[in-house]
Amino acid sequence: MKPKTVLGAVLAIVAGIALWEGYKAVGDPDGAVVFGVRVLPRTDDAAMPHVLDVVRRLGQPELAGGRPVWRVVFDACLFTLGITAVGFIAGALFGLLLAIVMQRFRVAERGLLPWVILSQTVPLVALAPLVAGWGGGLSLGPYPWQDWMSVSTIAAYLAFFPVAVGMLRGLQSPSPIGVELMRSYAAGWWKTLVKLRMPAATPYLFPALRLAGAAAVVGAVVGEISTGTRGGIGRLVIEYSREATTDPAKVYTAMLGAALLGLVVAGAVALAEWPLTRHRRRVLLP
Amino acid sequence: MTALEVSGVSKVFNKGRRDEVSALHDVDLVVQSGQFVSLIGPSGCGKSTLLRLIADLIQPTSGTVTVAGKPARRARLDQEYGIAFQQAGLFDWRTVRRNVELPLELRGVNRAERKARAEEMLVLVGLEEFAGHYPAQLSGGMQQRVAIARALAVHPPLLLMDEPFGALDEMTRERLQAELLQICAKTGTSTVFVTHSIPEAVFLSDRVVVMSARPGRITDVVEVDLRERTEATRQSPGFFTAITKVRRALRGTKAAESTEPGGPAEPGVSAEVLADS
Repeated sequence: MKPKTVLGAVLAIVAGIALWEGYKAVGDPDGAVVFGVRVLPRTDDAAMPHVLDVVRRLGQPELAGGRPVWRVVFDACLFTLGITAVGFIAGALFGLLLAIVMQRFRVAERGLLPWVILSQTVPLVALAPLVAGWGGGLSLGPYPWQDWMSVSTIAAYLAFFPVAVGMLRGLQSPSPIGVELMRSYAAGWWKTLVKLRMPAATPYLFPALRLAGAAAVVGAVVGEISTGTRGGIGRLVIEYSREATTDPAKVYTAMLGAALLGLVVAGAVALAEWPLTRHRRRVLLP
Repeated sequence: MTALEVSGVSKVFNKGRRDEVSALHDVDLVVQSGQFVSLIGPSGCGKSTLLRLIADLIQPTSGTVTVAGKPARRARLDQEYGIAFQQAGLFDWRTVRRNVELPLELRGVNRAERKARAEEMLVLVGLEEFAGHYPAQLSGGMQQRVAIARALAVHPPLLLMDEPFGALDEMTRERLQAELLQICAKTGTSTVFVTHSIPEAVFLSDRVVVMSARPGRITDVVEVDLRERTEATRQSPGFFTAITKVRRALRGTKAAESTEPGGPAEPGVSAEVLADS
């Protein structure tokens, strides 16, 4: 990583904190209300605790005599990260497969694409209990269905969409000349896919994977909440928010954890992209 | 020996529909081994279509195409020809050398031989120092040379080129023309070369095939006998005579065309001819 990138990241964090604390300092403690609609949030300590308080809260025990909050949040994040990873990988693979099928068969594209889009209009909150319900009756061979599998399924359900759409676009991106060249080399559909369409699709694939990563985190967090799965960061957010009035800083520690989780997933995708973009880095293409 | 034989070939696009287009009508063409043949004619005369038919990228409505003694499809599957287009069409995620290796890779040639052959080809087009570069780091002319090296990598007996120098500036163009002739002479490759440019066709070819549009057909074949081509050839009387011959043949087709409704006007043609000379 270049020093410039690191500096940019640090500046962004500092700017974020400054914005938070700045607004807290100058804003009306009751927020701003226009015609009965609150357009700016309250700035009292219950709604917007000081950043330092949140950080300090991380170091204190969760309950009197319990483990420190950061430890609990960290473990919850790790649990959710596992669920997210399973969902993300399954979803991405499914999306990839779908894109390939749609590229190969024009009929499939026309028949499947509307369903793919429709799938994302179903409200997640309605879907999650259904998935959990179905899962209860399933088993993978000798292994009974676990709660976390339902959550992974929900994460996968959100993650496959950007990959399917982005990858389809990417697979269709090679110029007619490239396709004709492959034909002139007597390359069949599979060889054309591997040597031309797949590499040509990477500039479309990775932005899609980043979206899918973010979607998988959201899916995992919301999935945990709506299926009532214990042990993850989604559950922790709900648990801590019950204490919002008495311990506002605690809620934000869980949210911080959820945000970090998203960053970790985005970072993992960027890491996977690195070896595949050598040519673009070398010649500084846009 | 004949490198290529096209007999009685017609091509109709969208047959039986309202937007039916007769792109080629009853075309016959024979290219002998080692010959350099140019196809020249106005836009829409079907010269690129003819090239694609030879390459078996599209199939004729009627007639037969024989490349190296085989039907066009068999010849394509056996990689009996190499092809280059107006755009180099290099894969920008592959280095120059790996681009040239691509057709060999698809043929199942082993790694060491691939590398050796690609390097040999790059020497041929004078780009051996750029083997490790990526296409985006090269100029348009260099990219086109890589495309030629790639087309020749499998040592095909026939080279098909669709306005390969069309997007290049005049100086680069002339240099590449001379290089191409040397390469073809060295490798003994027969070539079918599509172009708009009369001087280019004359400088490169043993025969210039003149085509006209709607429907696309061959109207004339001009034999060019300039023996060895050098830079001096471009100033020689024989060169200008051949240019005039081709131009007349093209004019003939233009004159026939302008009698059709909506045909292009004559002034545009003479402007193009002036610019060419």
